[in-house]
This record gives sequence, C-alpha cells and structure tokens, in this order.
Amino acid sequence: MPPRVAVKNLKKGGGLFEGVKSNIEALIVGIKYFVDPKRMTLLYPKEYPEHRPGYRGFIVLKKDVCISCAACARVCPSAAMKMVRVTEADPREPGKARQKQYPVINYQRCIFCGYCVDVCPVEALYHLPFHDITYESLADMFLTLEAFQKEPLRPVEKEGSPVVYEFDESAGLVKREKKGGA
Amino acid sequence: MMVLETLLYIIAYPPLWQVIVIGLLGSFLTAMIAIWFERKAAARVQRRIGPYWASPRLGGFLNLVADMIRYILQEVIIPRTVDKVPFVLAPVAAFVVSIMPIAFVPLSPYEKFWPVPDMQYSLLIALAITTVPPLLAVIGGWASNNKFAVIGSLRESYVITAYELIFVIAVLSAAPTFLTLNVLHIVEAQSPFMWLAFLNPIAFLAAFLAVLMSTSAFPFEIPESEHEVVAGPYTEYSGILYALNMGGAYVRRFIYAVLISLVFLGGWAPYVPPSEGPLFAIIVPSIIVAVKALIVVLAMSFLRAVYGRYRLDQALDSAWRLVLPLALIGLGWGIALGLIM
Repeated sequence: MPPRVAVKNLKKGGGLFEGVKSNIEALIVGIKYFVDPKRMTLLYPKEYPEHRPGYRGFIVLKKDVCISCAACARVCPSAAMKMVRVTEADPREPGKARQKQYPVINYQRCIFCGYCVDVCPVEALYHLPFHDITYESLADMFLTLEAFQKEPLRPVEKEGSPVVYEFDESAGLVKREKKGGA
Repeated sequence: MMVLETLLYIIAYPPLWQVIVIGLLGSFLTAMIAIWFERKAAARVQRRIGPYWASPRLGGFLNLVADMIRYILQEVIIPRTVDKVPFVLAPVAAFVVSIMPIAFVPLSPYEKFWPVPDMQYSLLIALAITTVPPLLAVIGGWASNNKFAVIGSLRESYVITAYELIFVIAVLSAAPTFLTLNVLHIVEAQSPFMWLAFLNPIAFLAAFLAVLMSTSAFPFEIPESEHEVVAGPYTEYSGILYALNMGGAYVRRFIYAVLISLVFLGGWAPYVPPSEGPLFAIIVPSIIVAVKALIVVLAMSFLRAVYGRYRLDQALDSAWRLVLPLALIGLGWGIALGLIM
C-alpha cells in the first residue's frame, strides 16, 4: 500500500475585496517595473559578458607539453576531439624524424564541457573565459593543429564593452557595466 | 494663402477627414503604435528590451513597418476546402465595417463638418454598427472549414455575447444622465471638466473591461489563443487577409476607444472649437479625440504585461457575475445622476 499523501489545504480565493486588492497590487508591480526596468538582455555585439577565469570557453593546446596519451579524445562525450598523426623532427635525436599524435578539435561538435581539460594528465589543454563561436564557414570550425595552439580572438572586443551579471538584493540578477573598462 | 485655404477645406471635407484620415489612417497608425507599445511595455516589465535592432534610435518602431510589408507581400493561400466567397469577403468586410461607426459620431460641434446631416441618434447608431464585425469574424471562421476555426468562432461568439451587452449598457448609461442620445449634446454637457468618467466611474470601468475582452486584446485573446486553438477563427488565413483580421481587432479597439473618449472622457472637452476655419473647427478637436482614444488603447495594451490569459469559463464567469452587474450599477448611477442634475 502506498504511503498516504497529505492533501494540501489550498486556500480558496477570497471574496470580491481580495480580488480587487490583488489586481491593484499586480498593476502596481507592473507599473513599477515599467517605470524603472532593470533589464537583463545582452545587446550582443555592443556588449559581451565578462566571465570569471574558471569559465569553460575555447580550448587551447600546449603542443610541447602534450604526451599523446589520447585521454582527451577518449573522454570527449560528443566526439569533438580527435587525434591526428604528424611527422616531426625528433628533439631527442637530432636529424631524425618521429611520428606523434596530437589532439585537434571540431567546434561543430564541442559542447564546452571541459572534460578534456580535466582529464589531461600533464595540463596540456586549458580554457579561455569566452566562446564566441563565429567562423566564416563550417569548414573553419575544424581546427587544424596549428590553429588549435593559437588563442582565438574575440570578435566583439573592439566594438563592444564588457558587462557582468551581479546579484542584487532587491531585483535579483542584474546586468552591470564592468567597472574599469575592458 | 488661397491655395492653402482651399487645400484645408478639401482635407476637412467630412467624409475624407473623418472616415479616411481619422478612421482609416488614424486606426492604422494607432494599431501600429499599440502593437509596438504592447511589445515594448511587456518587455520592460519582463526585464527585456523588445524590438530594437530595426531602428535603435526609434526604439525598434520600424520593426512594425517591416512586419507590415511582410504581411502585404506574403502569398495569400486559399485552401481548397474553404467556402471561398465568405472566406475572402469576411475579413475585408469586417475591416470596413469596423471603421464605419466613426462616420456616425461628431468630431466637431458644427454641422457642416459632419459626415451625416443629423446626429439625433448618433450614440445608438454607432453602438449598433460596432456589433456587426464580430459576426463577420464568426462567418470567416465558419467558412474556413477547420475545427480550430470553428472552435475559435464559437469562443468568439460566447465572449461577444457576454461583453458587447456590457459595453452597450455601460455606454448607454450616458443617455439618462444627459437625457439625450446625441453624442454632440453629451460632449457639450461634459465641457470643460465634468467628464462622465469622473461622474460615473463604474460605467467607465465596465466599458473599459468590455472593450478589453470583446476585442480580444492581448492578454485576453480567448478566441485566438495560440496554445489552445491555433489562431482561432483566423487559422486558415495568411498574408494580407490575416493582417486584415489581426489589424481589424486593433481598429475595432480604436473605434471603441473613440466612442469611450467621446462619451466618457469629454471628447474635445477642454478645447472649445471656434466656428470659422476648418483647422480649428474640425482638425484640432478631432485630433484631440484621437489622442484620447490612443491613450485609452495604450492603457489597454499595457495590461498585457500584467495579466495572464483567462480561460473561457473564467472570462464568461467574470462577465455575467461581475462586470454585467457593474454595468447595471453604472446604468442605475447614470439614471440617478440624471434625476439629480
């Protein structure tokens, strides 16, 4: 036998007076927000959110540190990361070539979960605090090994100004201009 | 100077000025301003911005112009299953008939500026014509041969039956107060600040609520509620025919608001038009009336941000149990005022 569910005693709607009062209260709240709106909408190219350093944005590879363990490619839940085999000069034996595997990323698939950064045993991957994925073609979203080592530029940094979302006691989450400029 | 004067007289030619400029263009402009204000006000209250990028300086007003152009250029699809003649004629006729009540009310105290020669029963005639367009919406829904359209038409007829009665009773409460059915006498009796909205606020409130409900203003769009019946009576319509249907509701609201501003808000009240010259005798007072009507429409639009949509049963319940008694009390108050005054 399932446990008894306590039936909530809902208060029945009050009389005419109560109805009129609550309607007027709703109107007052509406007018208050109409006169003094605390807007949250981000006007994207003119404003961009300034995230804190721990934010999981674009991922960048430090190629010299990478040990080719492929843990990042295996852990990637959306199969955005792949290992590519490259032939390069061997630093330990000058004059000889060696083959090594490095990760590359496909931003068409990446969900910015950051598992690859977490799993990397030598910290060869790191995050940037933004991910404005704007590319001219879909093919550009497959990063080559060279592109994966460069920190991508933020397209709105020139025309926009940074904003932060802060918690306000009375209004909840509000949008504020970031102090001290970009 | 002569040319200007003649031009003024041509513009102030009563059918042209009152029906085309104030009626058609005024309601058109009012519809656009009302839709824009509705979106902006709701956005402000909900901490958004609303239309913006189309013209940042104008607060996104050109967005509405773009919408209008899109409606005009869109392909009109007439399904094979519909009853074609009423399907096409209903929105057009509804739009035209919606504007017509303005031809039967005076916007100037002088007879030479009236579209019709006699204003003896103007209040009754205008009220009678305002009851026609909903029937055409119902016809259009029925001709659509679509279950959503039929359900929407049914809802429309329920709501109209309830709220139009309330509007008629509330507005007719002006008649026993001033002992006349002539809108001109009603307006002149209210001059300069003895407005009926102050004398008889209950009837004013009832009329306001009735207009809000019967033109299915946005939070109370019970006949065409998107979540329940796709677009109500207008489900099968597209392009310019849909725009006529949707704009028709705003036009009706504007015409109702003109009636309210004449009967309850004193018409051109603080201003006393001089008898000579078309500019001060007709153009200025009619613009005053239109601006008052616009303010009423905007006040209705603002309520979108505050209220949620009523269910059909809630709307009918509040109509028959709350607002109809309110309108009857207003009528009684009007009779009492008439006895005192």
